[in-house]
Formats: sequence, structure tokens, C-alpha cells
Amino acid sequence: MITRRFISYIGLTAIVLTFVFGLGCESDSDDPYRIGVMESLTGPGETYGTVSNQAKQLAVDEINAAGGVNGRMIELVVEDSKCGAQDAITAYNKLTDVDGVKIILGTSCSGAMLGAAPLAEEDGVILFSGLATNPDIATAGDYIFRTSMSDAQLGVDTGNLMWADGVRNVATITESTDYAEGVRRTTAAQFEKRGGQIVGEERYASDVTDFRTQLTKLLTANPDAIHIAAQSEFSGGTVVKQLRELDYNGPIYAEVVVVGATALEIAGDAANGVKAVVADLDPGNSTAQQVISSFKEKYDYITLAWYVGSAYDDVYITAECLKQTEDDQDADGFRDCLYDITWSGAIGSNYSFDENGEVVGLSNVVVQVLPTGERTGDNQGYEVLGPAPLE
Amino acid sequence: MNSSPATTNASLMARGMTALREKGDIELYANVFVIAWAVIITLWQGTGFAVTLGTVFCIWAILSVSLNLVVGYTGLLSVGHIGFFGIGAYGMAILTSDTSYELLRTESIAQFGWPFFAALPVCVIAAGAVALAVGAVFNRFRDDIYVLVSFGFAIIAFNVFLSWRGLTRGAYGIRDVARPKIGSWEVSGELDFLILCAVFLLIVVGISWFLVSSSFGRVLKAIREDEQVAQVFGYRTTFYKLAIWVISAMMAGLAGGLFGSFTTFVDPNSFILLESMLLVSIVILGGLASIRGSLLGALAFVLLEEGMRFIPFLPSEFVGQARQVVLGVLLVLLMLFRPQGLAGRYKL
Repeated sequence: MITRRFISYIGLTAIVLTFVFGLGCESDSDDPYRIGVMESLTGPGETYGTVSNQAKQLAVDEINAAGGVNGRMIELVVEDSKCGAQDAITAYNKLTDVDGVKIILGTSCSGAMLGAAPLAEEDGVILFSGLATNPDIATAGDYIFRTSMSDAQLGVDTGNLMWADGVRNVATITESTDYAEGVRRTTAAQFEKRGGQIVGEERYASDVTDFRTQLTKLLTANPDAIHIAAQSEFSGGTVVKQLRELDYNGPIYAEVVVVGATALEIAGDAANGVKAVVADLDPGNSTAQQVISSFKEKYDYITLAWYVGSAYDDVYITAECLKQTEDDQDADGFRDCLYDITWSGAIGSNYSFDENGEVVGLSNVVVQVLPTGERTGDNQGYEVLGPAPLE
Repeated sequence: MNSSPATTNASLMARGMTALREKGDIELYANVFVIAWAVIITLWQGTGFAVTLGTVFCIWAILSVSLNLVVGYTGLLSVGHIGFFGIGAYGMAILTSDTSYELLRTESIAQFGWPFFAALPVCVIAAGAVALAVGAVFNRFRDDIYVLVSFGFAIIAFNVFLSWRGLTRGAYGIRDVARPKIGSWEVSGELDFLILCAVFLLIVVGISWFLVSSSFGRVLKAIREDEQVAQVFGYRTTFYKLAIWVISAMMAGLAGGLFGSFTTFVDPNSFILLESMLLVSIVILGGLASIRGSLLGALAFVLLEEGMRFIPFLPSEFVGQARQVVLGVLLVLLMLFRPQGLAGRYKL
């Protein structure tokens, strides 16, 4: 009797599945171009994934309102990769096997990207991300592209910035996480390559709240500047605050975490003048400003503006390549188009892709934290000084 | 010919039982037919997707069967099982991956280059060894405190995966984890891998069935009902609890090894506490102290969760969140109407 009940429940599930599977249908040439989207709509990367998905939908609505591509509309088939490899694999298989998609925009998490990449490479399916930053993605395959810059680029730009500002010796304090350690390593390597000297290095665990001992030790080396690489905004903001409490008035360099809203709230006045290298939209870029405005109008909020621009550009690049290939099933043609394309959009002008599918021609920007009285939600608490200096 | 009232009643009852049985048989056949229909349509719509779901089911079924040995049969509510799963997955990744792809080396990563079938026993043994060490301490606890200490273990395991960068590459994770290879035949195809996972699932189910059906299993059930009574009867309950804990962890390590090879990428996000809670939910959904229930729970959960991908007419901007809400409501309803789970006889 119990067995039959179990099977009843499974049967019910089966009926639901049968119903929904039955909704699938074959496409013909009059149908819209079907493009897969694989983002972290739930899970740890939900914020990034949702913003990215919404930006893509915004771009598709604009393209379709303008008549589509080659007279055909674009339709996004959205799947949730939940920021994990296993869910990325099931999402990928659903998109490719059930929906018959050959071009997938995403994912927003590097783990999900690296989980699905071997399958995409084997099947000849495009994976095109606007957000994943893990350096390992560079070598993930011939069909793997991204408009997001690698974490390694951040360190290179920070090293160049410090050198360009006249800093010749620097002390670093780094959170013991891979992201932060990676940023420190590449920053230090670039800075030393330019001729600079690292005069002190300290690391801290993520649950530490008092950094005064380590900071005092760093300051005894009398550095020209302090570099902070943090993973959490709490620790980033606290390090800045405690540095100023120790009467350090010299320059502080960091990356995006230390100038995040929470970090600035913790640091307060102590953060005034902190410089950071971040991926941010250029205020002088009219496309970027139009994208921000349209996004605000459609969704009534704006956050992670650079990621909005990156996801938005990905859709327009996709539309341009579809215009050339005229076939959403031609992944090889699409791949060749991406290798050849030079694009100007929300996140930059005249950027392209190298032989690894990595975006080239983009740079991070340098921002400087404003005095507390001038910080607003619109300016995110800092002013953009311009593109990060090149070597 | 007259019959006595007792004989008449017995006859009526027999006829009633036959009718019920026949009705039940029809229900059974109807449901088997529907399941077969769903499977056929699923395969017809997308073989690759169905095979992927099958593999995910096998891995989660191994995990839920193994956890049920501890939670359902022994009455020890552990939420730290995901840690052993992670040990297995990282064991497979560390031993088989070639990390020459690294562009941003933050630590010197050891490379072993082992084949899958050499690494898999190590994953199982490593998980068992850690379980032995941890279990020796956990054996002191029961009930609420046991939940708390197993919770602590899950947190520690996650942080070790995240922070021991020289071994695990921390947040970047390890990619290019090896697929199984026997001689020149590489189990690279998804169907091949599903068959391999199904074989391991059968082995795990067989071992579990043997354990719970034996006198060993009866002692476990006695511990669940009343540990002190079991001790009064002369059983060294700490030994039994430790033994089933280690066996269960080894099965989870096996599932982890398969998972690492299946995804070919392992990072700490796959072993967060939420996944552990999900696993406990599957065991409860299927039914405590029922191996068949664990299989059904894993199947129902995978089908329900992945079935959400096919709900039509949801706005694409919020499709992920909407699906999760629907899934949550379904699970709540299922627990309302079937609190003992699909095949269970006990409640927590």
C-alpha cells in the first residue's frame, strides 16, 4: 500500500514533467533567434546574476523594438545556474538539449562557468560571459569568451597607478582569501616590474577585526603608500579607519571592495581621498549613461553599473554577430565573428577579443573617495578620475 | 446452505481486501505507465538532459541513502554530511587534476596525476578517516547538541576548503578533474558516466540494505529508540554509532569523488551549509529509516527541482526566483500532507 502511495507521488511529479516537457516544440526559420542565458538568479551570486539578466532583457527589448535582427526577433531562454558547477551543468544541458540553443550568454559566477565550459567546448557551443573574472577562464576553451576583465588585470592596473602617482615603495595588507591574494600578487609583481619596492607585507584572516598591530608594523617601514587588498567590505573599511587612527596620512590604494558602500560607511571620514582601481562605466561614455538611464527607468533601481553595461554590450555584440551569421545554430560562425569583432559600447570603445576569448582594449578606471558630505547614492561615494594608466 | 456470521464477515473482508488490492494494482499500473511515459518523453525531448538528471539523481541518492543510515536508522541528526561529500570531491580533484592551466598561482599546488579509479578509493578512505577522528568526539553527544556539533563540522569543512589554498586553490577552485578511464576506454560520455554512477548506487544500496537488515541494523534501530536500553542489553552503543558514522561518511566520500569527476570543477561553493540542509530535507522528504525512501526522495527532489525549469509563462527577469518559490511551496505542501515522508514510518 505504502509502495503505491510513493509511486502516486512520483506519478504526480511525472505528470507535471510530462506536461511541461510536452510544451517544447520545433523551431522554424520564422521563429525568433533563440539565445540561451545562464545566470546565477538564485544562490550566492544572485545580485550579479539578476542585474545581468535584467540588463540583457533591456537590450533585447530595445533591439526587438527597433525591428530585431535581419527582421527576426531575439528571444532569451533564461536558466538559473545558481553559481555552482552542478547546476550550471544541468542548466547547460537543458538549454542545449531541450531548447536546442547553441549560443549561451553567461554565466555570472566563475565556478558555474568553469563547470559548463568543458561541455560547451566539447559540443561546440558558445559561452559568452559578462561577469566571470576567474583568471583560469582564459584557458577554458575556444568557444569561451568574456567581456569581464580577469582579476589579474586589476592588479596590473593598480601597480601601474601607484607607479604613475610617484609611489616608489609600498607596504601591503591583504585578506587571506584567493581573490585578495591574487590582487596583491599581481599588483606587487607589476609595481616591482616598474621599479617599485615592496617594503612590508601583512596578511589577516577574514574574521579578524583589529589590525592595529599589523598596521603599526607596516608603518615602521615608512612606506610612500599603503595597498589594501580585501575580500570583505567590513575588513576593508576597518583597515582604512584604523590606519588613519594610527595617524597615517599618506595615500591608500585599494580595489573595488574597499570603496563599496558598506566599507565607506565603516571608514567614514577616514576614507576621504582613498584611490581604488575598479571596473566602472566612463561618465563621458554616452552609451553607458543611456544604459544606466534606461535601466533605472525600467527597473527603478541601479546597482553594479559596470556589470549592467557589460551584460548589455554582450547582447548587442550577439545581435551584431547574428546579423552576420543569420543563424542562431551556427556557433562556429559566431565564434569567428567574436574573434574578428571590434566593439564600442557601454563598457568601452574599440575593444575586441584575443586568441583566448579574453576581452582586450578595456581598462579599469581610477576612482577617488569623496569627502563624506559629498557622497551620494548616485556618485556611489567616489569620483571617477579616468582610465587606469597603462604601462 | 447457511453460513455463520463470522464466516460471512470473513468472506466480506476477503472480498473487500481483494477489491482494494485490485484498485491498488490499477493505481500502481497507472503510475508505472505515467512514469514510463514521462521518461520516454523526457528522453525524446532531450536525451542529454535526461542523462544529466539521471547522474545527478544517482549522486544525490548515494548521499541521501548514506545519511539515512545515520539520521533515520540511528537517530543522529547530522547536518555535517556535506563535509564528507566535499572531502571526496576535493580528494578526486587534488589527486587527478593537472593544474598547469593556472595563470595566477598564489600557492604552489601539488600535482599527483592519478587516474580516477586510483583516486576514488582514497576519497572513500579519506572521508572515513576524518569521520573516525570526528566521530570519536561526536559520540559523546546526542539530540540537539549533536545537531550543533555536526553544524560546526560543516562550517569547519567549508572553511578548510576555502582557506587551505595550497591544497584546494581556495575560492578559485580546481578544474580539469579527471573522468574515469579503463585502459584505453575513457568514460567521457555522459551516458557512460550515468551507468558508472548507477553501478555505484546499486553497490551502496546493497551494502545499506544488508546493514539495516542484519543484527547490526537492529542495534542501530534500538539506539534510535532508546540508547540507554540498548546499553542495558549489553551493546556497546558508542561502537555501533561510530561504525555507522564512518560507513556513512565513506559512502558520502564516494559520492563526492563521483561528483568531482562529473562536474570536472570543484570549488567551496558546492559544499556550503545550505547544501547540507538540502540533503537532510531529501532524507526527510523520502522518509526516515527507509532506503527505498531515500531513493524516492532523491528522485522526487531532482525531478521537482529540475522540473521547475519547465514552468511556462514566468517573466524572464524573475524566472529563477519564481521557480524557487514554486518549489518551496510544493515542498511545504508535501510535508503538510505527508509529514513522515514519501516512504517513511518515523518523524523527526
